[in-house]
Amino acid sequence: MKLHTGSYLTFYMPGRKSSLELSLDAPTPLVEILAQVGIPLSELALAAINGKLVEAETAMVQDDDQVRIFSAIDGG
Amino acid sequence: MYGTSAKILRVDLTNGNIETQTLREDFYRLYPGGKALAGYILLNELPPRTDPFAQENVMVFANGLLTGAPVSTATRYVVSARSPLTGGYGESEAAGFWGPELKMAGWEAIVVKGKASKPVYLWIKGDRVKICSAEHLWGKLTAEVQESIRSELGDEKIRVLQIGPAGENLVRFAGMTNDLRHFNGRNGLGAVMGSKNLRAIAVRGNQRYQNLAYDAKTLMDTGSKIAKSVKENPLSWDLQERGTPGLVEPLNTGGILPTRNFRQGAFEKVEDMKWEAYEKELLTARRSCYACAVRCKREVAVDGRESPYGGPEYETVGAFGPNCGIGDLQAIAKAGELCNAYMMDTISCGGTISFAMECFEHGLLTLEDTRGIDLRFGNAEAMLQVIELIAHREGIGALLAEGSKRAAEKIGGEAHFFAMQVKGQELAMHEPRGKYNVGMGYAISEIGADHLVVAHDSAFAKPDAIQLKAAAPLGITKALPPRSLGEEKMELFYILEKWNSLEKVVGFCFFGPAPRSFIPIEDVLLSINAATGWNMTMEEALQIGERATNMARIFNLREGFSRKDDTLPERLFQLLENGALQGQSMPRDEFEQSLTILYGKKGWDPQTGIPRPEKLRQLGLDWAIAMLPPCE
Repeated sequence: MKLHTGSYLTFYMPGRKSSLELSLDAPTPLVEILAQVGIPLSELALAAINGKLVEAETAMVQDDDQVRIFSAIDGG
Repeated sequence: MYGTSAKILRVDLTNGNIETQTLREDFYRLYPGGKALAGYILLNELPPRTDPFAQENVMVFANGLLTGAPVSTATRYVVSARSPLTGGYGESEAAGFWGPELKMAGWEAIVVKGKASKPVYLWIKGDRVKICSAEHLWGKLTAEVQESIRSELGDEKIRVLQIGPAGENLVRFAGMTNDLRHFNGRNGLGAVMGSKNLRAIAVRGNQRYQNLAYDAKTLMDTGSKIAKSVKENPLSWDLQERGTPGLVEPLNTGGILPTRNFRQGAFEKVEDMKWEAYEKELLTARRSCYACAVRCKREVAVDGRESPYGGPEYETVGAFGPNCGIGDLQAIAKAGELCNAYMMDTISCGGTISFAMECFEHGLLTLEDTRGIDLRFGNAEAMLQVIELIAHREGIGALLAEGSKRAAEKIGGEAHFFAMQVKGQELAMHEPRGKYNVGMGYAISEIGADHLVVAHDSAFAKPDAIQLKAAAPLGITKALPPRSLGEEKMELFYILEKWNSLEKVVGFCFFGPAPRSFIPIEDVLLSINAATGWNMTMEEALQIGERATNMARIFNLREGFSRKDDTLPERLFQLLENGALQGQSMPRDEFEQSLTILYGKKGWDPQTGIPRPEKLRQLGLDWAIAMLPPCE
């Protein structure tokens, strides 16, 4: 799967890079992937799998999915 | 007195008088600069119903207590007057270098009255002040004028705050810039400056803030600690890494990217506008304000050439991009450049153009009105042409230079529905149907639709999130959904409004203090107390913020504003057309009920929103009670 982060979630990614590819042998809960990568669930505001918004707490990810996640977005 | 020179420069452009006023410490402690000082002066020295373009309008340029301190993001100053866009309390803030330079020159504020008989600029070098001719500068673009002033005064380090041709032409949303990349954009205060024939204020100083401070060592140590923390906190790290243009994609994913004049919440061309595209197509460097380690500013190349102006921030990208149906970053960058050169607020300019586009698509404006310009959503060429016309008040620009509210009144019919404004000021690029406190801020702000009244709802949506945890010293501990109103949400609003207002008083940028950003709240108080020796408590700090918003409220009440003006454009009570929040709307009844609750929390009459006398006494504003409208 390809994981892409935006807003300040990129801070938590390995090397603070905004993209990461992972091989999944089986459908995996998104929360497990986030824990593995080191992204705190408390900072996640939005998650989209293949362009569709999902509930992060219950979403499952397949090996060929594109996942985009964002933190809270504030103004300025 | 510590932390300030306590000196105000008073200039009368009609007779050329230049005077110095010295503030007392007991006064300054109640009104320590910025929004508070400006509000006090306007309320006491500007008679109600003064025409904003008359020479009797009073302009205040006010540093904050901490402006220029060696603390990242303590860089802001406020400009205030009666706004020609809203007719109400006018206020616009900026950072950059001009405010700190004014402080280094020994001044807390400048009050400008009257009107020069010919174009002039002020030259302030330390305590020497001169009124210089600007006839040779009038009509020129901002980059050329900055260079000319620095050259004729013989110093490249002079900081220049200036209007552009749009301010000279009294465009109602004309602003001012310092260093060509920091903008007092909102509320049309550039037009007030233009009406006084004042083209620029050039400043040079050499006093260091540390010499003003009560405890310079603690202040500098705090600043040093804060600077080192920038890269270690995700909020500040992201501001440096992506800056605000990084907002486009998440807002779009969340369905709250204002698109086509707020009809929609998601834009089909967002792929061309994400941060990765901005970085590749436009970005050349990251820059900073005075003594700030955050570096949130973007430098860009437009059409392959380095721009002398700062690159477009999120608001500019949003206003000239999705909200006009345009997905071309080069066109957006050019639009931002034009606004910076002529010096107009990109939010109001973009919002007025998107209004015009929708009017055009509905046949309320025709090709005859636009003299052949096909002003449809998505037509970047048309957008760029219209920006120039607005700056010069030519063709359709003469109508649109009045702002969307007045333009809608002139066009008539259903045009008013397409004017996305509150009190005459166009909405910023944040969709309230996804963040209800943002909507309440748009409605209640003294200056019209303003997205910087409170930290946005999303920061407080999840327990254990860093922004919510950082807000604990303010008494904020409970997570609340972004799309909620009611008692607890209004309590959150009330506290955050006071805190944001304090920042506008003491001179902190919103990208500094928690909960919006990375500076711990305790360090804000520590900085204030290290600068002044006042031992200020959180309660006193919040009261300073509340005092400032109450003065602005009274100003507006005197100008005839009332509860009916604390509202939102009708479109926001209707359904978003697309995106993740398709079908969502602001709930009208709940909104009105929450406004009543909020008024009550603020110590105002819950029905009318008029501050109660006992509240004003509590804030030390006894002198303003007589200014309240009579009870009905």
